[in-house]
Amino acid sequence: MFPTPIQNTSRRTYIAYQVLLPVTLILWLLPLLGVALTSIRPASDITAGNYWGWPSSFSLIENYRAVFTNSPLAAYILNSFKVTIPTVIGAIALSSLTGFALAIYKFRANLLIFFLFVAGNFIPFQILMVPVRDLSIQMGVYNSVWGLILFHIAFQTGFCTLFMRNFIRGLPFELIEAARIEDVSEFRIFWFIVLPLMRPALAALAVLVFTFVWNDYFWATVLTQGAHAQPVTAGLHALNGEWIAAWHLVSAGSIVAALPPVLMFFLMQKHFIAGLTLGAVKS
Amino acid sequence: MFNAVKLGLRLTSALAVVAALAMPATGKELVINSDSSFPAIKAAFEQAIAGFEAENPDINVTFNVFDNEAYKSAIRNFLSADAPDIATWFAGNRMLPYVDAKLFAPIDDVWAANNMSDTLKSAESSVTFYDKKWAIPYTYYQWGVYYRKDIFAKLGIAVPTNWEEFKQAGETLKANNIVPMAIGTKFPWTAAGVFDYLNLRTNGYDFHMALTRGEIPWTDARVRKTMAHWQELLDANFFLENHAANSWQEALPPLVNGKAGMYLMGNFIVEPLREAGLTDETLGFFQFPVIDPAIPTAEDAPANTIHLAAKATNVEEAKKFLAYFARADVQSAMNEKMSQLPVNSKSTVANDPFLQAGFKMLSNTDGGLAQFFDRDAPAEMAKAGMEGFQEFMVKPDRLDAILDRLETVRQRVYK
Repeated sequence: MFPTPIQNTSRRTYIAYQVLLPVTLILWLLPLLGVALTSIRPASDITAGNYWGWPSSFSLIENYRAVFTNSPLAAYILNSFKVTIPTVIGAIALSSLTGFALAIYKFRANLLIFFLFVAGNFIPFQILMVPVRDLSIQMGVYNSVWGLILFHIAFQTGFCTLFMRNFIRGLPFELIEAARIEDVSEFRIFWFIVLPLMRPALAALAVLVFTFVWNDYFWATVLTQGAHAQPVTAGLHALNGEWIAAWHLVSAGSIVAALPPVLMFFLMQKHFIAGLTLGAVKS
Repeated sequence: MFNAVKLGLRLTSALAVVAALAMPATGKELVINSDSSFPAIKAAFEQAIAGFEAENPDINVTFNVFDNEAYKSAIRNFLSADAPDIATWFAGNRMLPYVDAKLFAPIDDVWAANNMSDTLKSAESSVTFYDKKWAIPYTYYQWGVYYRKDIFAKLGIAVPTNWEEFKQAGETLKANNIVPMAIGTKFPWTAAGVFDYLNLRTNGYDFHMALTRGEIPWTDARVRKTMAHWQELLDANFFLENHAANSWQEALPPLVNGKAGMYLMGNFIVEPLREAGLTDETLGFFQFPVIDPAIPTAEDAPANTIHLAAKATNVEEAKKFLAYFARADVQSAMNEKMSQLPVNSKSTVANDPFLQAGFKMLSNTDGGLAQFFDRDAPAEMAKAGMEGFQEFMVKPDRLDAILDRLETVRQRVYK
């Protein structure tokens, strides 16, 4: 069996494994631990250079309260939801339709269109920065939640289509043929037969897209400015002072901002892991 | 689709309500755009605006607060497309692009009618271009040397007033394993602070201004003289090691922990230091020492301003507000809230030893007030300059190459 279970290896390897695992784990989590620790420090610790030591006092409640009372962070978080939820719905709705079309219908340009969707994933979005900004200005959606939603839907749909198409391909085609014989309209086939079977794929994609879009920083800073439209990833800097970077508040804000995707992950862990491998292998 | 239509309808009706609320049937309007997104500054503005509305019940003020960073790119858009009546900005050459683009309007009549050449004298030169006045300065703060009073007392160091004493103070500190000056040049504006002071003390205000206006080559012998003074400090290991890896904030711990003795910085350094436990007994302030006694002392004191937009719709009301904002009582109250210095000479200064010391120093400054390197020089020159200074502090032997490069930039920028 490969890989060999660690219990069956030599004693030396086993001990090395037992020692290295926790060490690597701590090393790996060090930045996160640092953020968590900083988020409960008072500002004076940071000015005094106490970055990694024991906090001189604990200001857990003060810091987390300050995040919500002294800054528009709550508005930024609300913006994140306003961007993320419509994007998830839009991208999944569109891609289940495109996925259905590309998986079920045989037409000449089928493969070409499919490749176009896939190729979209290979374009580094940094090179789209200037054209997309100009486009959003001309469309009048620059600096609005709608601009972000439209762009994210457009960009996520490519990946989602790949995912959906492969998933629907895996469904038994006989189901669709049987329905056609019964003279069921094509849309009703999609709605009543394919869509219910796609539920695991929908759930997995929803989690993935939610995480991608929630964590987006690039487009949040390119397409929006200010508390009326910017999501929380870009809004964390509002916690800083005019002269001083308030790392204790930024850390607390980061942890608050990271909670929704983390919660989403734990609630839907099963789908998330399924989603990572779904469509990767075709049987 | 149906939902979108419904949403659209709801939005339009919401907009109609907002519009109705924003425009009372009678009365005048005044729109102010500002970058005061930080709590204390916002509170100071709101308080001043409330006072103005109380005095002018017929004027309804709309106060738009922008995010401090976003404002810097937004101002160009809104001044030309959707102009407010009044906008906040900065004194010095930083306002020149907007003056040249005719986006700010001159307000000489407001200055003359309220005798501001007398009350706002200390910042007058920094808002005067083409013999016209373009702004009301309402706040500024001092730069200078913040030092560990207790360490100086323990080592018997007197507050240095001239170059020799300054260098001697550094030697004493070093002999006791204390770095003379803390600095972090990761964001290189801090190095520009050092340059400003060395140049102001070596060559004086007029030369410094001419240099930042691009009228003097960077390869000039007088610039070299300034750099030679800097070199003396570098040769004497005056500054923290690894300064290029730290921000100014990350260079605070050595001062707090007694590993460094002094810090050349603006008055905003006091708040975090106090938070970290330094008191008025352990933290002190002194004016940057004199290098050439023949040259009148000049200081860095960046001022913030408000401007009349050239496309303002409520000019009458705006001018009323500008006059109000220049008043001694208004500036006293605002600056007390912001922990800064009022520009109006008849204002009172908050009861804080550092603000008091700064006010006293700036009131007695006869050499002139500079606005800081990145406000006095145009953006492109300032960027190249600050990077050059940072490089010089790390590799002083590259001085010739650095000055040549700055000279190339100067010839391009000021064409």
